[in-house]
Amino acid sequence: MLDSFLFILILGPFIAAALCYIVRIPHIRSLVVLTTGCLLAVTSVLLFLNGPFSHTPPPILGVPTHWWVLWADDVLLLTMLYYGFKRRHLFSKILVIFQIVCLDYFELFMVDHDKVFPPFVADNLSLVMVLVISIVGSLICVFAIPYMNKHEAHQKLEKSRQPLFFTFLVVIIGAMNGLVLSNNIIFMYMFFEVTTLGSFMLISHDQTETALRNSVRALWMNCLAGAAFIVAMIWAYITQNTVDAQKLIAAGHMGGIMLTPLALLCFAGMVKAAQLPFQSWLLGAMVAPTPTSALLHSSTMVKAGVYIALRFAPGYAGTFLSQCLTACGAFTFLAASAMAVSQSNGKKVLAYSTIGNLGLIFACAGINTPEAITAAILLIIFHAFSKALLFLCVGDIEQHIGSRDIEVMRGLYARMPRTALIAVLGIVTMMLPPFGVLLSKWMAIEAASKHLFVIVLLAVGSALMVVYWSRWAGVLLSAPYEPRVEPEQQDVLTRLPLLVLAGGAVVLGLCAPFLYSELVVPFLPAPPFTIQAGIFENPTGAFVLYPIILVLALGFVCAVYAAGRARRARFSGPYLSGAQTADTESFEGPMRKPVAVSSGIYCFESIFGEERLTVWFNICGGILLALLIGGAV
Amino acid sequence: MRGVILVIIGVVAAPLLGGLIAGVDRRLTAWFQSRYGPPVWQPFFDVAKLFAKERLLVNTWQVFCAYIYITAAMLSVVLFFLQSDLLLILFVQAVGAIFLVIGAFSTTSPFSQVGANRELIQILTYEPLIVLVFVGIYLATGSFKISEVYSHTSPLLKSLPLLYIVLCYALTIKLRKSPFDFSTSHHAHQELVKGFLTEYSGPYLALVEIGHWYEVVLILGLCSLFWATSWTGIIVLVGLTYLCEILIDNVMARMTWRWMLGSVWTMGLSMSFVNLIWLHGG
Repeated sequence: MLDSFLFILILGPFIAAALCYIVRIPHIRSLVVLTTGCLLAVTSVLLFLNGPFSHTPPPILGVPTHWWVLWADDVLLLTMLYYGFKRRHLFSKILVIFQIVCLDYFELFMVDHDKVFPPFVADNLSLVMVLVISIVGSLICVFAIPYMNKHEAHQKLEKSRQPLFFTFLVVIIGAMNGLVLSNNIIFMYMFFEVTTLGSFMLISHDQTETALRNSVRALWMNCLAGAAFIVAMIWAYITQNTVDAQKLIAAGHMGGIMLTPLALLCFAGMVKAAQLPFQSWLLGAMVAPTPTSALLHSSTMVKAGVYIALRFAPGYAGTFLSQCLTACGAFTFLAASAMAVSQSNGKKVLAYSTIGNLGLIFACAGINTPEAITAAILLIIFHAFSKALLFLCVGDIEQHIGSRDIEVMRGLYARMPRTALIAVLGIVTMMLPPFGVLLSKWMAIEAASKHLFVIVLLAVGSALMVVYWSRWAGVLLSAPYEPRVEPEQQDVLTRLPLLVLAGGAVVLGLCAPFLYSELVVPFLPAPPFTIQAGIFENPTGAFVLYPIILVLALGFVCAVYAAGRARRARFSGPYLSGAQTADTESFEGPMRKPVAVSSGIYCFESIFGEERLTVWFNICGGILLALLIGGAV
Repeated sequence: MRGVILVIIGVVAAPLLGGLIAGVDRRLTAWFQSRYGPPVWQPFFDVAKLFAKERLLVNTWQVFCAYIYITAAMLSVVLFFLQSDLLLILFVQAVGAIFLVIGAFSTTSPFSQVGANRELIQILTYEPLIVLVFVGIYLATGSFKISEVYSHTSPLLKSLPLLYIVLCYALTIKLRKSPFDFSTSHHAHQELVKGFLTEYSGPYLALVEIGHWYEVVLILGLCSLFWATSWTGIIVLVGLTYLCEILIDNVMARMTWRWMLGSVWTMGLSMSFVNLIWLHGG
């Protein structure tokens, strides 16, 4: 049973990818993507119900799996090297060659392959990750089907590049499933590299000059992460004589010597998760078609980074490394939130918000108490749904109005009421109670309260976050009154993922006590909260979730009813301090000439401007990272 | 049973108290300015009159937002009376504050838009400070729950003097008293008309007004936590604090939001940090 589950979850996407690449018939490709998505979602649920396991897969075609992994690794690295030469980028070439040499020497001459231990082990953290990756990832792939058709129609390509696009889109899902289920860190490394190559290919997809430049940046930064990973792997093997992740985590407590490889692994994770000063590759990834950004930002790629930090968290609990990780994460949270405030480009706001939330997860991993780990895991789940939803909304909006600028989205409710409402809902689930992201943030703040620097960073960061989210939600609704707004037409495959993700973001937030007790508690040594009648409680604090939901839901129903009844009221134009003209959008100025009114959002360029802050934030982020690695060596 | 009584007090008595405080505020302000001033009950008459007005709207989102605002304000006061978690109360209160801003953004009036942007800056300024004050309370009592504050044996003011000043800063901004009345102010005679409240009107403005009374009670409740060991202490501390607020409101001119963000963050964050270090060290 397990064999077939693992086969579907890890190799299934690779087979589907091959089909997408070989069979060049659009309908069959769509069918393959749809089937793979459904299959992955169902299998991930079955795997979860099956419970934690450790498993040794049988040899494939008579060859043990670790040989397949070595070959796959070499093919991968050689492909990257090829692109390094093709794009003439010296640094990536050096990094890739370094990895090839290290890996082959390590595999052929150092590792004792006869040692028996299960290469796949899953506890609740892995299973939760598989659920998030498979369900959210599949929804994004489904959304991509109509999206890419429109995208290519807009580009007027002679030859469709969709086969390649879908190939790597599904490959990343398979690789992520492999990564979170691996116990052998050589396997983990291989899947880590697949996500690097996949994101590189997806970012360069449009082949414009910016796309090519940004993809190379993503390549070298992620290769740096890969190089750190491989050094960590070899170092850990020299000290502990094993590549079994469970044993390495257990060895962390032994002290000093094991800390360096753990620090390098955290470093690899932080680069992958685009933490300062490596945020530029994720911001550059915005040039790719929206499903790519949605996939990289919500359920895959960057989540691989936080997964590694969380996976090895027990290994470095209570050390200086842990404290540094908290500082780095909290600083990234503040810095990313500050820069998001200065942006009016919707996708960039989303990107900075992702970086900030990942920083918060790293901070939680660093705090390393059961309470903080709970916050981190819940944040991974809730953030994946809300962020994927928002990205897909922006993608859809961009295809309709031709811009991703928040100012251009002003009054979107009058043009695309459904999408605008879903986007507002997504924004509300990102920042307000009773929804999940805020619940996790509450846990994080209470867990961080004893760390003075960290709590100041988190307090300021969350206030900044409130600014950019509420501003956006307000602008979406900012339209002159019309008695009846005509809903927009949408493709079924566009609307379905949006609705499912929106439903997921709301319902999962309401099921938080259930998620906590079923998904998170089994992973922790001791449950940090007691739950009674939907109230999260411990000596530090209490989150009365269900009573709040009840009251706010009542208020919501009243508000909707009152707003519906108010349609019978008299309507007038807004106050413009002058005689209005008939269209209510301008007033009569001098000489009875109409003067149009306009207003914009405050972006605080002079305080939080990206150009002003990036350099300083990168320097601070770099110093903190140096502290993290230097302190552990 | 005790819980039910507390909820009823929270829902019914809080706005009455809030309205009364608003009346006293106006009376005292008038006295400072050598005017006679309206009767103490005037705020209630105002709200009653607003409820009787014709409903004149620019869009239906404002109705929605006004209702959410009053729900959240009411809920946060009830949670306070039930001695719940401080951070949770702040977050619930934020729901109301943010929906009020979203409602202001939803109209196309430039006055409302500018007011909404400025209100966001006010939220940005006071929110981190209030979080840090709560962290101070946590470090002093070992919990974020208000019930733990009441079982603390010595007044919090003794160990958190600087944080109390920070809280007062934050509350002045939250109450939109001069010099921090950028987003809207009591009198509509400025460059901003009525700021982010410009387009709220009639019964819906009345709801916003009642919501504001709830918030005043919540804010003064937070102040009372700093001398929660005796009733006399609570009354003296809260009374003095509110008197200071009125005085400051009357003697200060409106400044710019840049000044607010810069000065309040510098002062507030450094004072909180110093006080938190005292607690951590002691």
